[in-house]
Amino acid sequence: MSVEERKISRFELLMDAGFGAQKAGDILIRAFARMGKYVYIEPMIPAEISPPPRTRPALSGVIIRVADFDITNIGNDTDLIVASHEIVLDRRLDDEETNANCRVLLDMGDKKANEQSYENVCKRLTKLGISTFPFEIDAEAKALIQGLSGSGQNMYYLGMLSAIYNMSKEIVEAEIQMTFGKKLSEDVYNKNIKIFGNGYAYAKANILFSIEVAGHPRQTEKILIDGNTSMSMGIIDAGIKLFSGYPITPASSIMHTLAKLFPSYGGVVHQAEDEIAAIGAAIGSYFGGVPAITCTSGPGLSLKQEFIGYAAAAEIPLIVIDAQRSGPSTGMPTKTEQSDLPAALFGNHGDNTKVIISVANVIDCFYAPQMARYFTEKLRVPVFIMSDFMTANSYKVIDKMKPTEMNSVEEIQDFVLERFHINRLPDHIEMVRDNQSTPGIPGQMRRVTGLNSDHLGQINYFSKTSQRAHAVRNAKIHEVRKALKKPEIFGPEEGEVLVVGWGSSRGVIEEAINNCRTQGISASGMHFRIVYPFPTMIKDIFSRFKKVVTVELSYGDEHKLSPLAMLLRAETLVDVQLLIAQATGRPLRPRITMEKIKELIS
Amino acid sequence: MSTQTEIKPAEPVTLKSLNTDNPRWCAGCGDFGILMGMKRFMVDQQLPPHLTVNVSGIGCSGRTPNYINTYGVHAIHGRPITVALGLALARPDLNLFISSGDGDALSIGGNHLIHGVNKNFNCVFLLFDNELYALTKSQTSPTTRKGHPTNTQPSGTYLEPLNPMALVLGIGASFVASTADWMPDHLANTITAAFKHKGFSFVHISQRCPHYDPNAFDYKTSAWFSFLKHENGIPPDKRIAEKTEVVEHDPSNLGDAFKHASAPQRYFGLFYQNPNKPCYDEILRKQIESAEKKPRSKILDRFQI
Repeated sequence: MSVEERKISRFELLMDAGFGAQKAGDILIRAFARMGKYVYIEPMIPAEISPPPRTRPALSGVIIRVADFDITNIGNDTDLIVASHEIVLDRRLDDEETNANCRVLLDMGDKKANEQSYENVCKRLTKLGISTFPFEIDAEAKALIQGLSGSGQNMYYLGMLSAIYNMSKEIVEAEIQMTFGKKLSEDVYNKNIKIFGNGYAYAKANILFSIEVAGHPRQTEKILIDGNTSMSMGIIDAGIKLFSGYPITPASSIMHTLAKLFPSYGGVVHQAEDEIAAIGAAIGSYFGGVPAITCTSGPGLSLKQEFIGYAAAAEIPLIVIDAQRSGPSTGMPTKTEQSDLPAALFGNHGDNTKVIISVANVIDCFYAPQMARYFTEKLRVPVFIMSDFMTANSYKVIDKMKPTEMNSVEEIQDFVLERFHINRLPDHIEMVRDNQSTPGIPGQMRRVTGLNSDHLGQINYFSKTSQRAHAVRNAKIHEVRKALKKPEIFGPEEGEVLVVGWGSSRGVIEEAINNCRTQGISASGMHFRIVYPFPTMIKDIFSRFKKVVTVELSYGDEHKLSPLAMLLRAETLVDVQLLIAQATGRPLRPRITMEKIKELIS
Repeated sequence: MSTQTEIKPAEPVTLKSLNTDNPRWCAGCGDFGILMGMKRFMVDQQLPPHLTVNVSGIGCSGRTPNYINTYGVHAIHGRPITVALGLALARPDLNLFISSGDGDALSIGGNHLIHGVNKNFNCVFLLFDNELYALTKSQTSPTTRKGHPTNTQPSGTYLEPLNPMALVLGIGASFVASTADWMPDHLANTITAAFKHKGFSFVHISQRCPHYDPNAFDYKTSAWFSFLKHENGIPPDKRIAEKTEVVEHDPSNLGDAFKHASAPQRYFGLFYQNPNKPCYDEILRKQIESAEKKPRSKILDRFQI
């Protein structure tokens, strides 16, 4: 048996929805993390609950990237796939994310009844040059699975993967215990452990290779957390006291997490009757002086727009999280995209004045809520936190963040401002209305309206008052523009190509640029955490590159610019081009980004 | 959050202290009567204006918060209930009043009315029902009577009007009362009773619109309506009650409340009151009280590997 030592490896477990592929993945990455390895996991989830098994829409699984160094993205392609039957595998092969050395372990249990279908998929694998390892769950495990009404199959695959990745059986079993110990009856739990053991033993005996990714003892305190959970914890840490939302994928899990934990930290979760009611309650709370937040995804963002414009006009603080998914309309609820930028920035009618924060990773998710609070309470304009399906759902091992326990926004710490590349805002910022009191103060009865108002808060329709109100609101955004520092830059600030992105593309840009530079390619990268407004110096930086291009998970072609490219062109008059503008629902890949950079230079 | 430096002590509440700049409603508009009823109630109860928030939607009724010297949120069309609920959750110390019209509450905001009633959060909800859209210049609303011509249904409104009283009774309102803009005593007493009720107090107000539908309510006569009376109810308007029928009605009797709500005859008074319906805002606050307090400093410990 050969042990292949790797610094990094990516593998997948593909099953029918509802059979626990994600559970198995979670257990495995926790075990990896305990053994000192770095992991990044992307769940593949159908938008439906449990589509009929053995159909293409039923594909549900996990992609796991494991390494002996810190990883920032889900990577390029897959080394190994374990698939529960030929149909989910066939569906996944369509995404073209396997590499030349990819191995597929295909469960042949369904073959008898589906000879032709299996044959076709096996032919496809041969054509792709993928080595196939057929296997079947042993009779004893099969009987146990049957006894558990079909569940437990994931434990067999978990066992196989644990063996293939040279995992300590005890550590994985300890994680199974952590996950199921309290939830399952002793009998069911023992059966699951037995199935796991059989899968482990089978792979040890029959799979004649194993992959060893080195681990290191932990030097610092590490946590394993996903983007939405990190955001939930950040909401609590930021001193926000009301969360109001409406169920929508992929934002909902923030509401689920807070529903369990928020009361212990003095917070309330309000599940509203619709998206509009959710944002209305957040606005009401903030008018009452109590920091609040609402959270949504694409379709919900469209519904919230009127209130977003209202908050800007009435000068009531407002924070909206948008966990972006593939659109337009319902699109692909469980696929990632970055196409909501224009809707966030320009979505309400009339003039738009807002600040847009994006999160590049799960650490940003933790600090973004306090950054958002800082902006919205200082400026009284709507502030967005733009996340996406990928960031929201992927888990990562990271250094444990430092809670700041914010009460008032003036307490915001320098390292948080630094993280978002911004200086402190001035103490005094002019408001449209002089009176910004919170209810409870005698003699200061503040009344707000979406109608045009003068500095005394009186409604009028005079030309000068309207122009002034616009100028004052926009000056708030200009204050942010002035306070912004240089965005994060990878590589030197001059050269052939500058690759620009925002939000979750950071890790891919960083990895692609690092790889380019080790190959002597003159490429640099730029990443925006605050996506609007832009700092003023970017035009200068752009001018020092022969080409400036964007990578975006958003549609674009030769006639239509993707959103970031369009904005950057408008703001800088630099001929920003599209390097990647894809709307496949799949994350960006560092190698493809690097190949595109090479093409562009040659 | 930010506060102004100069804080004046609370002064006695007078009609004058509640004035703001002049309302911009048309002459003879029923909204003046409702505004006066609201002010009289505040003076009677000496309700501190700095602890009172008037929330409204859009329409003629929506202007109300701008015309009374309390805190105020003149929000967007159909959604004042959502803002008020956020305030109720955040600030249980505040007295909340919602002004909404028949278009605002029953058409664009119908969903929120259903859920405001069902959540039963503590506020007074005033439905200014002039039976049409007025600020947008005479269009058919859910309560426009059949046959009445409007700019959108010029040959006469097509459908029978929706019955707001039966609607809210049907979805389990804990307090349902009806009054009219031209009965100042009854109006102020109704608001008082609504204010004293804990929960979502629904007050229907028949409101004149002399500009677009002067014939909607024959406010000079009284034969077309009756008062509901009960020791636990709202006293009938003294001057008007002499000239019309007064019916004894126990506000704990939901069946009779439905009968009165569905009758061709219009009734003013307290239709229904259930003091025991749970309040959503209170339930959420109690969660905080009963939860084990945890320090934020350890918030990430549970994710440690």
